Amino acid sequence: MAKAKDKKQPLISRRDALKILGATGATAVVSQVLTSGPLSAEAIKGIARHTEASGEHEWHMGIDLDKCIGCQYCMKACQAVNDVPDDDMRWNVGFDERTEGGTDFFMTRPCLHCQEAPCVKVCPVGATWVREDGIVAMDYDRCIGCRYCEVACPYDVRRFNWKQPEPSEIKKNPYQPAWGVAEVERRPRGVVEKCTFCVHRIDRGLEFGLTPGVDPQATPACVVICPVNARVFGDIHDEESPISQFLEAHETFRLREDFGTEPKVHYVRPAKEEA
Amino acid sequence: MAVFRAMEKRSLSKTTFMLWVATLCAMLGIGFYGMYQTLWNGLQVTNMSDRVPWGLWITHDLSAIGLGAGAFTLSAIIYLFRIKRFEPIARMAVFVGFLGYTSAMLALAMDIGRPDRFWHPLVYWNVHSVLWEITWCVILYSTVLVIEVLPIILESQYFDRWPKLQSFSHKLHKLTPVMAVLGMALSLLHQSSLGATYGVLSGRAIWFKPSLPVMFILSAVAGGVSMTLLLTMIVSKLRNVELIDKWLRRDMSRLAAFALLAYLYLKVWDWAATNYYSHAPGTADAMMRLQATTPYNESFWWLEVVLCGLVPAVILLNRPFRRRHGILMTGLALIVFGVVVNRWNVTLSGLVVPPSWSPGVLGNAVAATYVPSWIEIAVSIGVLGYATLAFTLGAKYLPLFPKKAEDGGD
Repeated sequence: MAKAKDKKQPLISRRDALKILGATGATAVVSQVLTSGPLSAEAIKGIARHTEASGEHEWHMGIDLDKCIGCQYCMKACQAVNDVPDDDMRWNVGFDERTEGGTDFFMTRPCLHCQEAPCVKVCPVGATWVREDGIVAMDYDRCIGCRYCEVACPYDVRRFNWKQPEPSEIKKNPYQPAWGVAEVERRPRGVVEKCTFCVHRIDRGLEFGLTPGVDPQATPACVVICPVNARVFGDIHDEESPISQFLEAHETFRLREDFGTEPKVHYVRPAKEEA
Repeated sequence: MAVFRAMEKRSLSKTTFMLWVATLCAMLGIGFYGMYQTLWNGLQVTNMSDRVPWGLWITHDLSAIGLGAGAFTLSAIIYLFRIKRFEPIARMAVFVGFLGYTSAMLALAMDIGRPDRFWHPLVYWNVHSVLWEITWCVILYSTVLVIEVLPIILESQYFDRWPKLQSFSHKLHKLTPVMAVLGMALSLLHQSSLGATYGVLSGRAIWFKPSLPVMFILSAVAGGVSMTLLLTMIVSKLRNVELIDKWLRRDMSRLAAFALLAYLYLKVWDWAATNYYSHAPGTADAMMRLQATTPYNESFWWLEVVLCGLVPAVILLNRPFRRRHGILMTGLALIVFGVVVNRWNVTLSGLVVPPSWSPGVLGNAVAATYVPSWIEIAVSIGVLGYATLAFTLGAKYLPLFPKKAEDGGD
């Protein structure tokens, strides 16, 4: 009897299947409807403030393109300290540029450490994230090397390690020791890497009671080495910090703000642009 | 036609078949060499770069998954909507889908920088990533396909000697309707999400649009059904047997054609809304650079829309054309080719004209270029060789079609 029944009754009928699919869809819609009411005043405040990091500190960088003399020291110090031997893998890039008005200047760009970082949203394994202090961090041991973050980043910040693993003994870093010594381990082949705002200096510096942006041991290498102080760094929650004073003193802009990525690197335009 | 008639007597001559298998094995050999080079030396053997981090292998992967969509489409039609006249094609569709998905996973395993960490998405979750969702769906759906394909393999004569396997296969086969439901849900999710992979990137103006996921699934339905029918017709020709009747051939052609028309409609409106009737600065700038410095704008119109869109739509919907096997097969092949061209164009067009972020006028003025290296091509040839060899053996030894057709009846 039971057998005969089995034969006729399929495990799941079309009606059941469609019901399940329909119910799933309806649940999704209803949950959206129920949470889409008018927002409280608190929540609206939250919208205006959503670009801030949640932690005690929030690290920002300022780059004065008017002051910059194009010496490329920042790029070299970065390669030495973060142990990036190959020039085509520079985390901190720089190149000759010209304004629309025809003024030549030198454009440099570290990772912008976007608060709404597109690279963070797309990573399938959560190997990159925005820390409480706003720094976009990477876990090289978790990265699978799919390069979706490179595709997502609109600023060409991320670098994939295409080559053989090159332990320092084998491949010499031409920038060491003249421009600094390696402070972090070189990354293995097959993972994505990028500028970290020299996070190792910041974390260690805070442990020793130093102030990143003021004390050189706790400040990114590119900022420390700049001979004309074109780069400044610090905590924007601290009004006395170099970056807060920089933002106060200059009219600044960020790269492609229309993307809504909320970068933490602020630029001052090269001078005489309108002349 | 004359060639086929010359082959006469049910099947190809043994020599021809052996030559064909030898060619496929050679392709596999080339592929193994490419894979060895890639795994040993890393992705530096490819022509991909930090500006164009995705290339031929991602195109291969996206195309294989898209062309495997016949499995979920036809399974849903047969087991969920109970349109029984499609039943003779069910196993073939599932088999083709299985080969598509396994090809995609092979290509992906080569493409990621750390194949040893392929399991990370299963353990380390980032639910905000479409790629995380795709990984899960593709793995789950591949499991579904294995469950659907196993009974076909176990039913072949070779396994007759183990009756226990037979009863196991019957039990698995009973699960087919459940698998069809699961398969449809999973496929609806990840086939669209593959388009969303590009569609959600707000920093890339050419890609950032809600239409991409829908266009990906529509083109996958058209391409997947076409692929299944095309391969069936090729096998029919080579074995000189009518494997499916002309009504099913008509219905499948129409299904593919209507999906193709829906896709073209969306595609044209997508272009009109983002290019013709509007002027969003990012999109306009990127499209202008695309048109001025790359071939992708022209290949969009000539290859994707005209040659692989309008032409096959006319062929598949026009009775006199459809009745001529040669013309129908050309139309189906064009749709299949169109899916590949589309996946290539979508991937490359967004990458070669990256957004300009420099405040100056010199930066980003030049479009990036990408031509796959010969090792990338070798690996792709290998993956293609795997799929073709597995298909050849399957078509020869597995009961992919109902008994009546296999015995040579109409």
